[in-house]
This record gives sequence, structure tokens and C-alpha cells, in this order.
Amino acid sequence: MKKRLLNKRFLAIFLSAISFFSIITFYEFKKPVESSSKYEYYQGSKVLYWGTTGQDVKDVQWKLRNWKYYNGKVDGIYGADTYRAVRRFQSKNGLKVDGVVGLSTARAMGLNFATASRGAAPATSTAGINRKDDVYLLARAIHGEARGEPYVGKVAVGAVILNRVRHPSFPNTVAGVIYQPLAFTAVADGQINLAPGKDSIKAARDSLNGWDPTYGCIYYWNPATATSKWIWSRKVTLKIGKHWFGI
Amino acid sequence: MDKRRWIIPTVLSLVLVIALVWGYNQFNQKNDYEKALTNHYQRLFYDTKKHVENVQVSLSKALVSDSKEQNILLLSQVMNEAYFAQDKLSQMPVTHADIAKTQKFLTQVADYSYSLIQNHLDGEELTNKQRETLFNLQGNTSNFNKELSALHDKVLEGDFNASRTSARERNKLQQANKEMLQTRLVSFEKQMGKSPELIYDGPYSDQRLNKKPVGLGNKKVTRDEAKRIAKQFVGDKKVDKITSFEEGKDISKVAIPSHTFNVLPKNTSKDMAIYMGVSKQGGNVVWMVNPRRVSKNNLSMKQAEQEAAKFLKEKGFTNMEPNYSLKYDGVAVFNFAHKEGDVTVYPDLIKLKVALDNGEIIGFDSSAYLMNHQKRDIPKPKITPEKARESVKIDFDIDSTRLAMIPRGSKEILCYEFKGKYKGSDFIIYINALNGKEEDILQIIKSENGTLTF
Repeated sequence: MKKRLLNKRFLAIFLSAISFFSIITFYEFKKPVESSSKYEYYQGSKVLYWGTTGQDVKDVQWKLRNWKYYNGKVDGIYGADTYRAVRRFQSKNGLKVDGVVGLSTARAMGLNFATASRGAAPATSTAGINRKDDVYLLARAIHGEARGEPYVGKVAVGAVILNRVRHPSFPNTVAGVIYQPLAFTAVADGQINLAPGKDSIKAARDSLNGWDPTYGCIYYWNPATATSKWIWSRKVTLKIGKHWFGI
Repeated sequence: MDKRRWIIPTVLSLVLVIALVWGYNQFNQKNDYEKALTNHYQRLFYDTKKHVENVQVSLSKALVSDSKEQNILLLSQVMNEAYFAQDKLSQMPVTHADIAKTQKFLTQVADYSYSLIQNHLDGEELTNKQRETLFNLQGNTSNFNKELSALHDKVLEGDFNASRTSARERNKLQQANKEMLQTRLVSFEKQMGKSPELIYDGPYSDQRLNKKPVGLGNKKVTRDEAKRIAKQFVGDKKVDKITSFEEGKDISKVAIPSHTFNVLPKNTSKDMAIYMGVSKQGGNVVWMVNPRRVSKNNLSMKQAEQEAAKFLKEKGFTNMEPNYSLKYDGVAVFNFAHKEGDVTVYPDLIKLKVALDNGEIIGFDSSAYLMNHQKRDIPKPKITPEKARESVKIDFDIDSTRLAMIPRGSKEILCYEFKGKYKGSDFIIYINALNGKEEDILQIIKSENGTLTF
């Protein structure tokens, strides 16, 4: 009787070990699928987040209000209430809880504005040209690099990225500068893929609109963590938050 | 008892087998990623080399050629290939410090070619000086090319060895390849440091980078005086505390050297402070950001624009005219340009952010104005608007016409500005008011948030 019990126990351990490893092995095969949906999410032409305004936001608010997630006004402004409602909706529906209405959240709501607005756009020569992608990419870079900084420090990091775009020693596009190898630690360790906070989005817009607290600097570094000696040979100009800025 | 004895080893060995299979998969996957990355870098390397070769060849052809048309074609090839090379170089896994000058060189070759193309199109011949510069550029390119060739041979050698050596040695080799890439590029980088600045008129030229502001005024302002100016700008009664930012030793090297302040209004938390800069020369407020939140939209855009205009008048900016606007996050952003007589001077630009809840000014940026504003001798237009209209496409549907100064390189030129529509899209067309040449075309992008120009 006792033997059998022990046998059973071993069998249980054995089975759990097998299932554990098989899960780990299969996890790999799942990965690419996941990242591709993430890619799609960032590629989707319409992403609604804190600060977005317009008809699409109104649609989202209507849906959330009908389902009792949201009880504010349907005003087409993505504010704090909408943000919280979206998060509640996402957690109830097993979606990634980030407060951003991307492709998957929109699908779950039964909205299809990502493709609809693309298809329905008038066939003028300006269709599809906008700054939203730049704003969001820049906001992600700012969020990854300067999350804990005061607001002006965030605008300054955005301004440095844009000053680099205009500088001959650097790539000539926002994405080129941000993704240049060995340039930003937040890109190397993946922090750039975090959903940006509303301050980062605001800072990205301010820097794109021309605000530059650094007066044209193209470098910045944190004296506590900077490992490159070379960076200290730059012309040091101003300290904003924890970062030193330079040319 | 006996039965139990074989169970443990069986389980453990099974676990070991599974772990090995899993580990082997991981190992394979790692190798695949590594290969894919190495292939990508190899491609970038070969591409960069090809592009630099093409730059060199086209440059030498341009030096030989005596026809303007041929030269324009060759120079546009130079421009293209140099931008390609620069783009690919910037994607290689080398630190920015080691390729900054090389990148700058490639960008400026492209930019310089573009400005020469414009000269040619204006009917000008290459001057001797420009020929000499091209010759120097060609020399630099061929040096760069030589370094890349040497590097190429070494990389090939490394590949050949890689197939015969063990995994550990191969790792060492890869490390060596990486270092080689770095050192080779660095040696060219050093040579680049010695070459003289390119003198020409383009967006990436050193002249443009080192431009000094002309609209500051003469008076030197101490920190305390600047503090007073900052306080006054926000409103004396509102300010609780004012602190300045720590400055580095090279603060005087920035575009507009300034005192930068943290202005804390009364009854506000510390992270809601207002930030602003006051220029050390002339004591002008260069920029101001108030990060406070705006929750309600009480004001219309028209009302916000009036608030902005009122604010500018109070601060002593006269003859400013609103041009473009954007609306987001409960904030309206307005671009005001200076107006001299009936001419809109676009380079003298001030941006204002108005909170749409109470009309407060929560953002101010006059850096463009301070860089460019000065007393100008605006020439009289030599052609009539009707004559200028003839240079615009005949079916372009014009809404408004006016005179404007627009920046072109380091110069400013007087143009007729035609706003209108073509096949459902909005454009602005600039026609030189002195010689009737089409100078620039801007496309207007209208979105729900406002208007943008591209």
C-alpha cells in the first residue's frame, strides 16, 4: 500500500517535470507569433492613447459607456476617465492592460477604425501623411530614456534626438537616430517598447513643435551611469534633472 | 523496494534528456540569430563600400565633364550614393564616437552636391574653388575607399579561417573582426579630422551649424537681472521661488547662451514648476514651458488666438501675425511671424501655447525670432503679382496672394506667396518677386488637430 503511494508520487513528479519542460520548449515557438502581433500593434495606423482626440475616441467612449466601463462625457477627448475605463476593459477581457487602444483592443471592442480609416481616406495626395508615428516613436524613446526625469528633462531628451536628425554626423530620420546601434541604452535593453506615459507624449509633442531647453545640444549623459570616457570630452553646457547636456 | 530503485534514475535521466534537447534548441536558435545578424552586417559593409566607390567614380567624372547637364546628373548620383553610404554606415555596430566625422563627411558630400546642382540649375558654372573642393572630396573618398578595401580583405581572411577553427577560436576571431572594424574606421576618422571645413550653403553645412543669433541686442545680463526678467515674464505676484539650473563650463558654446530657471508659482507642487531660459546677451526670454495640466476646453481657437496676440503685444512684440495653429491636449499652439509693412517675414517666428481652459500662456518659444530678427532692407518687388502668377501652374486654384520673405540657405528671399488648391490638395507656392523663379512649394496637411506644412 505504502509502496504504491510512493510510486504514485514519483509518477506525479515525473509527469510534472515533463510538462514543465515541454511548456518551456513550446514557449519558444509561441514567441514569434506574439512579437508579430506586437509589431502589428505598433504599425497600426491608428493608435489611441492619452491625449488623442477625435471621432475615433468618441466611438471608443460610446462603446465603453454602453458597457458601463465609462460614465463620463462622450466628448472625443482621451483623458483620465477614458484611460481608466480602457484599462478596466482590457483587464476584464484578458488583453494587455496598458490603457492604449491599439489594434487588439479595438478589435475586442468590435471597432475597426484602424483599417476603416485607412481605406476610407480620401484619395488626395496627402492621405496617410501625418506626424502621429513620429510623436509616438519619440514618446517611447523619451519614456525609455527619461521616465524619472522632470518634465523639462523629457522635452530636452526629445530635443536632443531631433537636433541629431538635423546634424550631419547623425542619421537623417527620427527612427534612424533612435535605433542607431549603441546610441541609446533604452533601445538596447528594450525599455523603448514600454507604453509611454502621458507626460512623455506631451514632451514629444513639445519637442516636435520646436521647444528646445538644451539650446541645440546633441549629447546627454547621466554622470552616475555613463561608462564612456569619450562622452566627458564633449562640451558640457547644462544640467537638467540627472542628465548633463553637451555639444 | 527494488521497484522503486529504478524509478529515480529513470526520471532523472529523462529530465536530463529533456533539458539537453531544450538546451540544444536554444543553442541552435542563438546560432541562427547570430548568423542572421552577421549576414546583415556583412551586407551593410559591402553596400557601404559599393556606395563609397560610386561616390568616388561619379566625383571624378564630374571633375572631367564640361557639360552642365552631365554634371547635374553626376552630382545627383553623388548625392544619392553618399546619403546611402551614410545611412548604412550609421547602422553598423560601431560607436558614434568612432564614425561621427566620417558620417559628417558623407552627409556634407551629399549636401554639397545638392547645392552645386542648384547653382547649375541657376545657370552658374563651377568656380575654380568649387572644382578644387570637389577634387579634395574625391581624395578623401578614395582614402576612405582604401581603408574599406583593406578592411574587406581582412574580413574575407577571417571568414576563410572561421570555417576551419573550433567554436572558441571562432568567437575570438569574431571579436577580432569587430575590433578591426572599429580601429580601421577610427584611423580614417583621424584623417578626416584634418580636412578643412566645406564652405557652401546647405542645411548640413558648418556655417549653418555655427550660426550666431543676430536678434539678441547688446546688453549683457547678469544672473540676478535675468531672474528679475523671468519673474516679470511670469508675473511678479505669481512667483513663489526661483532657482537656476547648474551650468557646464561650455555654456557659452550653445546657439543662444542663456540663464535657465526653474520658476515655482505659488500654491503649486514642485514638479509643476515653470521652466524658462533668458539669454545672457540682451536679456530676452528664449523659451518657456509650463507643464500644468489642462482639463477643460472653454475657449474657441479664435479666442485663444486673441489671447496669444494680446500677450505678445504686452511683451513688446509688435507687428506679429498668426499663421499656423495646432490643437491638442486642451492646448492651442500658434505660430506668429513678423510683419514688415505688407511683407510676412517667416524666419522671425515666435511660437505660443495657450491653455484652452482660461487662456493662460503656458508655452513660449522665440529662439527662431532671436536667431534671425534684425533690421532688414527688403527690396521692392521687380515683377508684378500678375507676372508672378504666370510662373504658377495654370490650373492651380489660388485662394490668396501676398508678399513674404522665406529662408533659402543662409539667405532670405522676397517671394510672392500663392496659397491654393491643386486636385483637392492644399499647397503654398513661392515665386521669387525679383526674377519670377519658382523657389519653393509647401504642401499643407490639414488634420482634425490643425494645419501642418511639409
